Amino acid sequence: MVRSVAERAYLPTRNLLEEIGDMMILTGRTISSALRPPYPYGGEFVSQFLFALRLCWFPLLISTVCICYAAPGLQAANFLTIFGALDRLGGFFVLGAVREIGPSVTAIVVAGVAGTAITADLGARKVREELDALQVLGVDPVKNLVVPRFLALMVVTGLFDIYALLFGIFGGIIAELVNSQPLGPFWNTLFANASTTDLWGSVLKTTIYGAIIAIVCCYKGMSASGGAEGVGRAVNEAVVLAFTAIFSFDYVFTQTLLATHPQILVIK
Amino acid sequence: MAVTEPGKPPHEGEEEFPFHSGEIRPSSSPDAIEFVDVHKSFGRNHVLRGLNMALPEDQISMILGPSGTGKSVCIKHIVGLLYPDEGDVIVHGHSIPSLRDADLFDLRKKFGVLFQDGALFGSMNLYDNVAFPLRQHTEKGEEEIAEIVNLRLSEVGLSAANEKMPNELSGGMRKRAGFARALVLEPDIVLFDEPDSGLDPVRTALLCELIKEVHAENGGCYVVITHDIMSARRVAEHISVLWKGRIVESGPAEELFASENPFVRQFLSGESAGPLGME
Ligand SMILES: Nc1ncnc2c1ncn2[C@@H]1O[C@H](COP(=O)(O)OP(=O)(O)OP(=O)(O)O)[C@@H](O)[C@H]1O
Ligand SMILES: [Mg+2]
Repeated sequence: MVRSVAERAYLPTRNLLEEIGDMMILTGRTISSALRPPYPYGGEFVSQFLFALRLCWFPLLISTVCICYAAPGLQAANFLTIFGALDRLGGFFVLGAVREIGPSVTAIVVAGVAGTAITADLGARKVREELDALQVLGVDPVKNLVVPRFLALMVVTGLFDIYALLFGIFGGIIAELVNSQPLGPFWNTLFANASTTDLWGSVLKTTIYGAIIAIVCCYKGMSASGGAEGVGRAVNEAVVLAFTAIFSFDYVFTQTLLATHPQILVIK
Repeated sequence: MAVTEPGKPPHEGEEEFPFHSGEIRPSSSPDAIEFVDVHKSFGRNHVLRGLNMALPEDQISMILGPSGTGKSVCIKHIVGLLYPDEGDVIVHGHSIPSLRDADLFDLRKKFGVLFQDGALFGSMNLYDNVAFPLRQHTEKGEEEIAEIVNLRLSEVGLSAANEKMPNELSGGMRKRAGFARALVLEPDIVLFDEPDSGLDPVRTALLCELIKEVHAENGGCYVVITHDIMSARRVAEHISVLWKGRIVESGPAEELFASENPFVRQFLSGESAGPLGME
């Protein structure tokens, strides 16, 4: 009994660790083959970039406006009203929207929309043996398929972060207006608390999110097996793993950023 | 005869292999591809279990065996898509598992491979699929490429489907397109995984003729996996019978068709009575 429980826990744990190791190796190979010539991935990079842009812009717009209006907007405004401190909402937006919600929503949308599309596409190619055929024809799938997706998702996620911040703040403005507040204090506290560290921290974080999403989704796609069902399973696992990895990384990143830039802890 | 009596297995403690004499009858050509004691498992599934197989140069070899014994896995070992857990795979004197990536990519230019499901690139039409190896590996101009591609496509009866995307084709058509793609580079080593499955009897016969013709023209080591005994009788010069991840017997085709080994006899005549059941 004890033994079988141990076995049941041991195997999945070992598989997970193996997968994480494989993904690390894939990351290393991706970076090194991105840098080493030749560079045949330009066209694929552009098409993946546009693909992600086209798929994500609208869901991201709706998501950021709505969640920033609802979460830090309505909820926090409600809370701040108790203290008659609704003018502080702008400052809270820096903490909530710029540092956390913007990047997280961006990552969720990119992983859920573009990441799953990548896993499904690569997974379908894998189970149809297209990837094998490519390799036999002397085409390195890492260089020609993973690298462009990796770069495209990094750039797209970083850019989308700024886009998400803008629309997030727009959500905050709606919240202010709904509470019939003047916008002056909102902007005041927003810019008093915002620093360049916040901005580059946010963009850097999401760029790395993009890298994580690309690696997890490409890995899961390229290791899919077992026909159409296997592709479905791969997509599902990719999303779960990508979210887990993103939010774990968020914790590490936030902790590090706060420790190395203590000035952003001070609320003005 | 080389048949081992049941109860006296050829290898110690391996009662599972009563019919595996493992006999490799000498062939007239040197070996192009060799499997040396190859073991391969996927998790608990032990697929290749000490496979020793030699495929001769300049002949059409066929690998026959029940479904699920690891024939496709063999092909993937030859081109270095899978690595053996133990043992060695040698192609033209190079040990595939120990080649560096760059050398492996070089060596792969010698291969033409037809995968079991055709493995056409879904994002390209038929023409581009067949032209892909030429664009990848040669400096040929588009005109020359068009000439070669159209010739290959007409050989397999697909000239009219030039512009079609793979998902608009039937299974048999995809097979034939994959066949054309495998041959465009006139490779030294050609590996066909069931080129005849999914084809009607007439097309199968024509495809067999085509394999023979192309081989007569180009030479090289052709390896064909098939379930079709008729095809084997038509084109095979060398036959390897694979079962449970090992060779039962291999050698020149005529000798195998005359073999006394009960498994080989059952398999090559397609009877239901014999050592092989549904399990
Ligand atoms: N990538 C893989 N991962 C896990 N198991 C695999 C993989 N490839 C093959 N197998 C297993 O190896 C065994 C042999 O498969 P293979 O495809 O070589 O059979 P086959 O002899 O080609 O059969 P068929 O004639 O039906 O094509 C099967 O049990 C299969 O499940
Ligand atoms: Mg097979």
